[in-house]
Amino acid sequence: MRFLIPATFLALAAVFVLDARRGVALPIPPAAGVTKADLHLGPPRAALADPPTIQNGAFRQTCSECHALFPSPEVPRNPLLQHTHVVLDHGLNDRCYNCHSRENRDVLVKHGGETLPFERAPELCAQCHGTVFRDWQGGTHGRTTGSWVTDAPEQRRLKCTECHDPHSPAYPRMQPLPGPNTLRMGPQEAEPHHGPTENPLEKWKAPHAAASATHTEEH
Amino acid sequence: MDANLPAPAPSRRSFLRSAVTVASGMSAAVAALSPLKELDSSDLPTLDEFLQKHYLELGPGEMQAALERIRNEVKKRWDVDAVVRDVRPKEGVEFVYALNLSRCIGCRRCVHACVAENNQSRSPELQYIRVLEMPRGTIDMERGNHHYDRPTVPDALHYYMPVQCHQCANPPCTKVCPVEATWTESDGITVIDYDWCIGCRYCEAACPYWARRFNFVEPEIPSEDLNPEMSYLSNRPRAKGVMEKCTFCLHRTREGKLPACLEACPVGARKFGNILDPESEVAKILREKRVFVLKEDVGTLPRFFYYFDERYPRPADEEAVALGTEGAK
Repeated sequence: MRFLIPATFLALAAVFVLDARRGVALPIPPAAGVTKADLHLGPPRAALADPPTIQNGAFRQTCSECHALFPSPEVPRNPLLQHTHVVLDHGLNDRCYNCHSRENRDVLVKHGGETLPFERAPELCAQCHGTVFRDWQGGTHGRTTGSWVTDAPEQRRLKCTECHDPHSPAYPRMQPLPGPNTLRMGPQEAEPHHGPTENPLEKWKAPHAAASATHTEEH
Repeated sequence: MDANLPAPAPSRRSFLRSAVTVASGMSAAVAALSPLKELDSSDLPTLDEFLQKHYLELGPGEMQAALERIRNEVKKRWDVDAVVRDVRPKEGVEFVYALNLSRCIGCRRCVHACVAENNQSRSPELQYIRVLEMPRGTIDMERGNHHYDRPTVPDALHYYMPVQCHQCANPPCTKVCPVEATWTESDGITVIDYDWCIGCRYCEAACPYWARRFNFVEPEIPSEDLNPEMSYLSNRPRAKGVMEKCTFCLHRTREGKLPACLEACPVGARKFGNILDPESEVAKILREKRVFVLKEDVGTLPRFFYYFDERYPRPADEEAVALGTEGAK
């Protein structure tokens, strides 16, 4: 009997030494592989030149050069026969001349008939979107880039049309980049609404999670 | 008479007994030490690293030597010529972050811009920002989901709430550190001296926002992804076994730039600035908007605020609101 104690020690020693030689395999998930290009840094839309121009074969023309020759219909059709790339989805605001000048296509027009260069488009938007315009002026709506220092030369506030398409201004939906994969947050596929969960944070309340799962997702 | 006799020769039995006891004792010692075989040179600190003082006690010359050492280590391991600096806080600046919940669409651009800027481990990928997808109508974080993976966002039935370090004015994480390796600087940013951290993870447990991350394994970053613009207290490479956290990109923001997460936000939901400047965007938000902080009741006094617009940009959906209030019953 007395020999059992040292024998146990010897067996344990053998197990530890052999096991340590094999090393510990941690379940390390592979890198997400997100590159800088996936981040799409910079303004979401290219700003128009003022006045806007169009490349027509070898020629670069302003809007008015064509519109002087071809009159537009009084009531626009949707979808448009010309400018077919334009998707018009701006709510009730579906008349070209609400914003574009009837006489001169190189400028915009306000409700009272006052014309505005394209560069000052935010003032046009402000006629209807007053609260958002006020927030944008104060910097609480929209993107400010470059610097946090008030009035620094590097600071730039993007204009309305650098993020929103004026013809269909709702911000486009986009694909989300990959989520967390750290050990503590659980495996990627362990979404709480997919039945019994592998997520270590969820395990302790598994019965509750299963109950709440029905009304987080099943709609 | 007995004293003159020679000591009796050990019996065969007693010899065997002591021999086996000694052998098993030695093998137990070997077993206990066997994990040391796993150690390689990367696990052991160099002499300079071992002798280096706490960040707050480094003299100017010693700081230069420490930066030079980090530069050499980066060159040796990644073959990248890094610019390693020690960027100090500015006078009269206290940083505040504000995040517009009405605008966030949950695209996670901020998460990955942060990883790229701050040299987090890519495999496993440490992320300072976690975006919660929450049912509309509630702010019960227990019902948020980190792992949403939709073809496109935002989802009409949910809103999105990014959470990162709140840079608290009353931080629980710095109080629990047994070696004072983490502290709050004069501009409100809580930092870590990665060379002083012993990896006990008390701070991770103390943080009510789960904002701190631990390097369980040696961080792995491909050399082409390494950001060479480094600073001592923020994005220099970390070692296995230390904590790390969001520092509001102090190497950028202390020089007037904006944090990487803000620059990557496509919808402008993120706002950052100096709260001591009444004309700053964040000061206006705190004055004019409906603002709240997360877990106000725990008394951490965060410098990270969430706010709303007057009107939610996506039309209210009664089904979604019912979904959120259902859990609160």
